[in-house]
Amino acid sequence: MSSNIANETTCAFRDRQPWTVGRVLTNRYFLYTVSFCCFFLGWDYLARTLGAEGSSSLARPTEVIVALQDLWDNELAEYKLLGHIWASTQRVLIGFCIAAVLAVPLGLIMALNRYVNAIVKPLFDLLKPMPPISWISISILWFGIDETSKVFIIVIGTFVPCLLNAYNGVRLVDPELYDVIRMLGGNRRDEILHVCFPASFPAIFAGLQISLSSAWTCVLAAELVSARSGLGYIIVQGMNLSDPAMVMGGMAVIAVVAWCTTLLVTGLERYLCPWKRKIAGL
Amino acid sequence: MTAYREIRVKTPLALKILPVVSVTAFFCLWEFVVRTGIVPETMLAAPSSVAQLFVLKLSEVDPDGALLQEHAWVSIQEAFTGYFLSLAVGIPLGLAMGWFVMAEGLARPVFEIIRPIPPVAWIPLTIFWFGIGLPGKIFIIWLGGLVPCVINAYVGVKMTNPTLIQMARTYGASDWQIFRQLCIPSALPMVFGALQIALACCWTNLVAAELLAADSGLGFMITMGRRLAMPEMVVLGMVMVGLTGAVIGVVIDRVEKKLLAGIRR
Repeated sequence: MSSNIANETTCAFRDRQPWTVGRVLTNRYFLYTVSFCCFFLGWDYLARTLGAEGSSSLARPTEVIVALQDLWDNELAEYKLLGHIWASTQRVLIGFCIAAVLAVPLGLIMALNRYVNAIVKPLFDLLKPMPPISWISISILWFGIDETSKVFIIVIGTFVPCLLNAYNGVRLVDPELYDVIRMLGGNRRDEILHVCFPASFPAIFAGLQISLSSAWTCVLAAELVSARSGLGYIIVQGMNLSDPAMVMGGMAVIAVVAWCTTLLVTGLERYLCPWKRKIAGL
Repeated sequence: MTAYREIRVKTPLALKILPVVSVTAFFCLWEFVVRTGIVPETMLAAPSSVAQLFVLKLSEVDPDGALLQEHAWVSIQEAFTGYFLSLAVGIPLGLAMGWFVMAEGLARPVFEIIRPIPPVAWIPLTIFWFGIGLPGKIFIIWLGGLVPCVINAYVGVKMTNPTLIQMARTYGASDWQIFRQLCIPSALPMVFGALQIALACCWTNLVAAELLAADSGLGFMITMGRRLAMPEMVVLGMVMVGLTGAVIGVVIDRVEKKLLAGIRR
């Protein structure tokens, strides 16, 4: 919203309005609370009615918390809950860093040099449409079921968005910015250092965000197929023991951890490129 | 002489040749590495043997129980059902969340709880609920496609030019009129952007769902290739997944261009 004087007056005016039923009902935070309560109560109700019929396909929220407590205190396959979280996070971080270090410079070079582009782009276009998850089988054939194969999957999954966004970030830089720096007497090196890199930063970070969520998908898929540790392993164990509380506990932990790593990248982005325009709400 | 002269930018010959060279070199190297045994044949199949298997699988049911076309058809059916369901639910939900306070207040928290969980993590739970049949896979694919649809529709509505909304208000338009005649049209480009993103998500999740719980489909073919230690089957499955996904992507791109012909500029 453009903040002009008219807007500010209306805001100030609104603040002095009395509390009425209609205003409370359309208050955002009130609705959020209602929504949360409905979600958990509905989940609990569903789980209880389904549980009463004898099928154990949905766990109650309290059961999930008990299952998490149990995982926290007791070892599952040599690791406690924190150990599993760390196992998954470690894989994600290693794979993500390898891919970012390789893909971002490659994307930048591709966008800056058309000969490199002519060599790499067709190969990249060949490999791009294959979903990273379809590489799981071949990586197990290559590396066995230990850490290397999982890191490989994550590298494959994060490579594509990193590279694409770095590439497009440079190509979509406003041409007028180049004109400005040329007018000021800059040479090719100045163009790259002072225009290309800063202007493509937001796009690169968007790519890192996308690739991070892709990395979590990949690590889970890899751990679901074969693993001895990690959050995916917890879920699979829950499935094998037909214990929905454990499965849902694993999912909850994944949600929290993935959300935290996303926050980390967002924070880094705010710190590194404070000029980026933010879309309200997301 | 006309006032304008056509400016021709010559593409250097090298730029035309290099892509062909690099792709050829890639396949030659791949073939060479396998043929000379630098990489054992139990780990990687040469492109020629993949092509052979491709021709063979068009008419041969063994060893994984179905023809190649049948696998592909099963996958496409699942992907499209999930895809259209996610569009049908996600886009209206996102549009409503962008404009109506009630819809946003009620749907946003639940959406934010579900969003960070990768759809892959739902697979065990859906196996509990639906078994390994079609509905479970469609559920996973639907979940995968839902998130980008909602986000894009939501952002599209939120990015409507506020001046236009204020103008509509000045002329006495009701909330519903503004939503229908102003917000939805201005959100359309973002919504169509979601079509491609959601398709890519659906296709990825399809493979994941089929790797873990399936008895047919391209993902199942890849898994069988690994179990039978037939790298050519794994590679064939990967190539088919990539190829089918790319073809569907191109089709959707065409449809999008047709539908958007009057809207973008």
